[in-house]
Amino acid sequence: MIEFKNVSKTYQNGTKALNNVNINIDKGEFVFIVGASGAGKSTFLKLIMHEETPTNGKIFINGTNVTNMHHRKVPYLRRTMGIVFQDFRLIDKMTVFDNVAFAMRVIGASPSAVKRRVPYILGLVGLKDKANSRPSQLSGGEQQRVSLARALVNNPLMIIADEPTGNIDPEMSYEIIDLLSEINKYGTTIIVVTHEQNLVKQFNRRVIEIGNGQVIKDSVPMPDLDNEADSSEGQI
Amino acid sequence: MSISGFGYLIKEGLKNVWNNRMMSIASIGILVSCLLLTGAAALMSVNVQQTVKAVGESNVFTVYLKQNVTELQAVQVGENLKNIDNISSCKFLSRDEAIKQYKKDLPEEIYQELIGQGNPLPNAFKISMADLSKYSDTVTKIKKVSGVDQISNKSDLAATLTKLNNLVSTAGIWIIIILGLISLFIISNTIRMTMYSRRFEISIMKSVGATNLFVRIPFIVEGMVIGLISGLISTLGLMFVYNILMSSISNLIHYDAIPFSQMSTGVLVAFIISGIAIGALGGIISVGKYLKKEGNEILGW
Ligand SMILES: Nc1ncnc2c1ncn2[C@@H]1O[C@H](COP(=O)(O)OP(=O)(O)OP(=O)(O)O)[C@@H](O)[C@H]1O
Ligand SMILES: [Mg+2]
Repeated sequence: MIEFKNVSKTYQNGTKALNNVNINIDKGEFVFIVGASGAGKSTFLKLIMHEETPTNGKIFINGTNVTNMHHRKVPYLRRTMGIVFQDFRLIDKMTVFDNVAFAMRVIGASPSAVKRRVPYILGLVGLKDKANSRPSQLSGGEQQRVSLARALVNNPLMIIADEPTGNIDPEMSYEIIDLLSEINKYGTTIIVVTHEQNLVKQFNRRVIEIGNGQVIKDSVPMPDLDNEADSSEGQI
Repeated sequence: MSISGFGYLIKEGLKNVWNNRMMSIASIGILVSCLLLTGAAALMSVNVQQTVKAVGESNVFTVYLKQNVTELQAVQVGENLKNIDNISSCKFLSRDEAIKQYKKDLPEEIYQELIGQGNPLPNAFKISMADLSKYSDTVTKIKKVSGVDQISNKSDLAATLTKLNNLVSTAGIWIIIILGLISLFIISNTIRMTMYSRRFEISIMKSVGATNLFVRIPFIVEGMVIGLISGLISTLGLMFVYNILMSSISNLIHYDAIPFSQMSTGVLVAFIISGIAIGALGGIISVGKYLKKEGNEILGW
């Protein structure tokens, strides 16, 4: 599903963010990306989202080579991914409902599809009764769940989250990762960048550690604890 | 793109105009001034052109006799004129009749000024030619008839009017170019401000996979709405200005201006089309540059 082949990224100012990285992530996997600050984790995600292009190497996503993808095709690539940010990126002059609906409307969804889909997704993240609230009236954990709902609403193949728990307290953080695990059960690939070692330890998942622009560790989960994944695959 | 998607984009464009209304009003003001000046120049030109055409087509010339030729002597001059082969009609116009005509056409003060020490006009003949292509040949023959002073040269008037028309057109083109550029500048800045205030939404749109077209359309709609409103206001404004101007000109000299109602549809269509075109162009110009930005670049521009 995501394949990096000898990928290097050097920014224009000369910073070498990634250095000859090879990573393979399969459909339905749940992967934590960890590593020190400045290691290149966000750069890895930006290359997946095609916000940046690699200086060297090749990137395949959903079986297509996206390394030098034409800019007109990029939006359609992004529709296969749901993106979650550390700072939520919610629009405060819109209600929770409209924040989620926004993601559907701007890719041309019909009003009836919006009406059907948004309440369902808000139910899935446990925010059905907050549909008419403003983001600023919610707790950090709730806001991140709105942002997760927005990422999910267009039925992506993968969720890409850059430090989704960076701005919320540990208890809420656990709930967010737990929610992502639930979503993963439906077959959605999940990639989570995080600093929090404790959080990672609580979940038995594949962990890729990046250090200094390179993969320095790639640990697969213990097989006996992972029997739930992919068991009820289907669309959310 | 689905119809509903399109409806959403139009709504967003309208919201942009409203949310950014101070700048929208400024843009409309500039665009209206631009359209008004352009329209005024164009209507003036149309009027002059019509007059030129009327003058050119009329086949009536005035042959002025020398001041000392009396009405009695004029009869003989008339006979001689009729003998010139290209002259198809020849009608006597006495100086008294001529001055009466002026009294009717001119404001009283100017008339009084004119007749100051008695009627300055000579006796004259109104003639028509059978074949206008022999115009200059015939004029030479007329000038040879004794007692004839000069012949009104309608083509001189036509030439003067044409010159005026060209002046109006040249000035008009410069007015259009300069004001068009100013309008474009103001509108694209207005839209850029809207974009700036919505950069957060734009970054989200791009991250969820909105196409550039989708990001762009509300801003182009914003420009088009500004253009449409300006076109409508300008049409009303031009009607008002034109009617005032033409009625005051008609008071001054006897002149039948083309009534505005005869041109209103053309003006409306032209104003709306050019307003919308300038607005859309303003939208396209301002958006293009920013669409290339990605992610945090958008937030930090
Ligand atoms: N747009 C950019 N231009 C230049 N250098 C950049 C840019 N973005 C990131 N970098 C540099 O690339 C390196 C990797 O950055 P990246 O953001 O990928 O790190 P990270 O692992 O996400 O760090 P953190 O945990 O602090 O978020 C850093 O040295 C950073 O300063
Ligand atoms: Mg980072």
